[in-house]
Amino acid sequence: MSYTGCNSAFLQIVEPLQMFKSQQLFTHVINCANVIVSKPEFPDILNSRMRSYCTRVNTGYRVTWYQSDTSVSVIVINEKNCCCTGEKFCIVRTAAAVSQVHIYKNLKHGFAFSRFSCFQGYKRRVGNAKRVLRTSLGVAGEELLEDLVDIEEFLNWLVIRENLGSDSGSPISHIISGSYCMWSVLKLYTLILKASRWSETYVNWSPLGSYLATFHKKGVALWGGPTFGQMMRFSHNGVQFIDFSPCEKYLITFSPQADELPGDQKKLIIWDIRTGLEKRTFVADGLNIWPIFRWSHDDKYFARIGTDMLSVYGTPSFGLLDKKSIKIPGIRDFSWSPTDNVLAYWVAEDKDVPARVTLLEIPSRNEIRAKNLFNVADCKMHWQKSGDYLCVNVNRYSKIIRKEKNELKYSGMYYNFEIFHMREKQIPVDSVEIKEPIHAFAWEPVGSKFAIIHGDGPNISVSFYGVKTGQTPSLLKRFEKKPCNSLFWSPAGQFIVLAGLRNLGGTLEFVDSNDFVIMHSTEHFAASDVEWDPTGRYVVTAGICVLQVDTGYWIWSFQGKILKRASVETFCKLLWRPRTKTLLAVKQVSEIKKNLKKYSAQFESKDRLRMSKASKELIEKRSKLLEDFMEYRAKRIEQWKVQKGRRLELRNNRGELKLKYLELNWLRKGCLEETKEFVKNELPEPARMHRVSVET
Amino acid sequence: SCCSCVIWDCVCRYYGNHAWLSLQKPLMLHGHERSITQIKYNREGDLLFSSAKDQCPNVWFSINGERLGTFDGHQGAVWAIDINWETTMFMSGAADQFLRIWDCATGKEVGNIRAQSSVRTCNFSYSANMAAYSTDKQLRQQCEMNIIDVRTVDESIGALHLLCCRRAASEGKACQADVAERENNGKILNMVKDHTGSINDMQMSKDGTMFITASKDKTAKLFDSDTLMCLKCYKTERPVNSAAISPILDHAGLSHCCCFQVVVGGGQEAMDVTTTSTRIGKFDSRFFHLVFEEEFGRVKGHFGPINSVAFHPDGKSYSSGGEDGYIRIHNFDSSYFEFSFEAQIEPSNK
Repeated sequence: MSYTGCNSAFLQIVEPLQMFKSQQLFTHVINCANVIVSKPEFPDILNSRMRSYCTRVNTGYRVTWYQSDTSVSVIVINEKNCCCTGEKFCIVRTAAAVSQVHIYKNLKHGFAFSRFSCFQGYKRRVGNAKRVLRTSLGVAGEELLEDLVDIEEFLNWLVIRENLGSDSGSPISHIISGSYCMWSVLKLYTLILKASRWSETYVNWSPLGSYLATFHKKGVALWGGPTFGQMMRFSHNGVQFIDFSPCEKYLITFSPQADELPGDQKKLIIWDIRTGLEKRTFVADGLNIWPIFRWSHDDKYFARIGTDMLSVYGTPSFGLLDKKSIKIPGIRDFSWSPTDNVLAYWVAEDKDVPARVTLLEIPSRNEIRAKNLFNVADCKMHWQKSGDYLCVNVNRYSKIIRKEKNELKYSGMYYNFEIFHMREKQIPVDSVEIKEPIHAFAWEPVGSKFAIIHGDGPNISVSFYGVKTGQTPSLLKRFEKKPCNSLFWSPAGQFIVLAGLRNLGGTLEFVDSNDFVIMHSTEHFAASDVEWDPTGRYVVTAGICVLQVDTGYWIWSFQGKILKRASVETFCKLLWRPRTKTLLAVKQVSEIKKNLKKYSAQFESKDRLRMSKASKELIEKRSKLLEDFMEYRAKRIEQWKVQKGRRLELRNNRGELKLKYLELNWLRKGCLEETKEFVKNELPEPARMHRVSVET
Repeated sequence: SCCSCVIWDCVCRYYGNHAWLSLQKPLMLHGHERSITQIKYNREGDLLFSSAKDQCPNVWFSINGERLGTFDGHQGAVWAIDINWETTMFMSGAADQFLRIWDCATGKEVGNIRAQSSVRTCNFSYSANMAAYSTDKQLRQQCEMNIIDVRTVDESIGALHLLCCRRAASEGKACQADVAERENNGKILNMVKDHTGSINDMQMSKDGTMFITASKDKTAKLFDSDTLMCLKCYKTERPVNSAAISPILDHAGLSHCCCFQVVVGGGQEAMDVTTTSTRIGKFDSRFFHLVFEEEFGRVKGHFGPINSVAFHPDGKSYSSGGEDGYIRIHNFDSSYFEFSFEAQIEPSNK
């Protein structure tokens, strides 16, 4: 497994080893203990202040616990740039005797920290390498964290769901009897966890991979930590849908069935994940597409669409922003930018008023850009994952035919892609027009390319466009006649899988979008899903209960090299465990890129070690098996020899001829040399090559 | 080439290496009009016997695939065949409720016995003095196993005395009945139920100390023929129609490549097949390492499920008979023999 040629994937591995710890715990503690940090720089003042309490203060970047002679402890945590600039935040827990909240302030730096009593829930076991931190609110903070940090163990997880007992029982029992397996890909597909009847329906990862949510009749349970213990339960009868906020602070649960209790109308509940408290409930009225509430990237706002209005709520108040919804007549859909508190919505045409796509800044409600569009049948909004671009896929018509009952039929369809350059002044909009029907659209998650599948019938083409500042998007490459219907970009960009799923037979093409070389063309017959692992190193294709046969998953490298084929009966679901975002600064990333060779050598040797360990284990297992089997055979052959007389008798002393065995030279290779003696002695009946030999 | 063999290196599997190797072009025997039900080599392996649903068992030269002759007389699908160890007698059981015994040299029928329902399986004993056959559970008949003395086969075959009988080889069970003691009257000595589905095929290892079963439950299992202890289990994704143990197992048990068995995929019910294309039909012969239970190769080529497989007694070739009516004789090439599992090198080096 070489990392060269896969820079971005490599980065994901370098970064987290030491650094993940901090942010998680930090936000955690901040939340639980209300430590407010107004300015993140405090180089010396902290140290000097701390010295009065602590025996030592470390300026290292790891999360460190310090204990003084009394019960004063310090956690030095750093947020960004942790490995370069040292600590930036500090949380001090003082002796219980200190009753005041200490606030340190000087001109430049200010931070506050809570009394020890606030932290009382924190328990700490020094001496045990594994610290168990339990907040007063009941969430095992550090366990959670260690789990995330230990990427060696938990880099890539697959959750695989199988149904047991598919041959018998009612459909309900199928669902209930689901078993879940987790595999670590890096550790050569070792099974990490297997649980039966874990969830009554399905499971979901939280967006950063900290929790695994399971569904039960009575509610939702979250699991996490190194042992995957239960972290929190949210009781909500008949829950069917859940949605995590992007930073994993809140959880929305939705139960479509009315509660049995009369008058109890709550169907949508927003929970605080860490405390398990119910924050707000909503009644879900009318037809809604899940997720009903959509979160802004930083968990600060969430919004839902209503008839002619958009309701934006803020956290942690959970109240309507400015106490009223935004009136937008004819609003059809909206979506948040993945990186900014900006949302885009579009309004349908109404008689002479054109359709309109608007970018709205929250909470200021400033319209930062709007674009009128004519002859619009439908719009779809695609944000680029880095929030640099927004593409609005506009289905336009040249003629409209009115039919009975207000049914509209459009004809002469053509398609526009309106590209909003979010990072430029005034947000210029470019447009690409394609006359053919569009089957799929996908942004490169990082970068400025997008891919489209378009065309009629067998003449399906895949086009790649590049977006540049101040230029209309340019066609980079067009692959003609590709039997595919889905696009899957690597999360790290550059690589893309063109897949013809389901009825197209599972064709797969691995393309490097730098030079548009098709690295590998292959197929996984009847594949129904393609999933990149979060690092962009692996691709997994899965055939999930389409034909009821050959269900299973195949793992490929990003270059299309097959790594593993696994078949799973009654295969239902496969999930990669998401990973937290990189904490490295851009500068560090480029630094690592520059010194890639140095790092890749390290990682390659690590990989080799892992491999050799695995093959050693395998070989040991095999030699054990072989030994056992040989022992059994030896015994059995002894018995068989004893019966020789009887056998000869049965065949009139014929047919049990001692022949030199012939033409078996090919056998005398390799290990057989060593074992030849055994072979000869134990050989029960030599293989006969020719009929003639029997007569001799 | 329509035939290729995939060999996966099981250690290197983790690195994603796998080799595609082509076997020599197989001999395709097309003498049957309908699907093959069973194929068997004689002890020397120069002759290959086959039966199909088309009423006429065939015998072929295994070396070149030339047909030596047919055994004409049955009036129903022939389900089972066997050859005695001297290749003098041939036995076939068919859906016309007859078990017929033939002279191998002339192809003439020497005797027959009428069963109460169609004959599903038949087998000569080690000495070929006796034979056993089983009948189907149909026509209000129980599934029965009968044992006959074939030494008295002549015109008066009706007088063949049934020694003992009546032991159902019921679903998923492997039974061992005592036939030697007449007074025991076929008492079940031992019975195990390891399979969860019905057993489609059972084949002995060359020395008779082990046998392998192929089951609808998508596994093939290796048993000790004395204790009926389940030794190994080979898992596939499809019902297994037939399984065989390589005859050079006993060398191979120690050597690097040759202990394997064929497990035949394509185990779909024939009626399900029309809904799937051959691409996913998995009409492959699959090779598993006998001891490690790991798959290391596949051979494809049939257009339908494979109903029967048999190893040549020299272990250097094998044949498969499929629902498509073809029998394919494959010769293994050097890549097959040179293929090694890493585990075995290490212990010998120690």
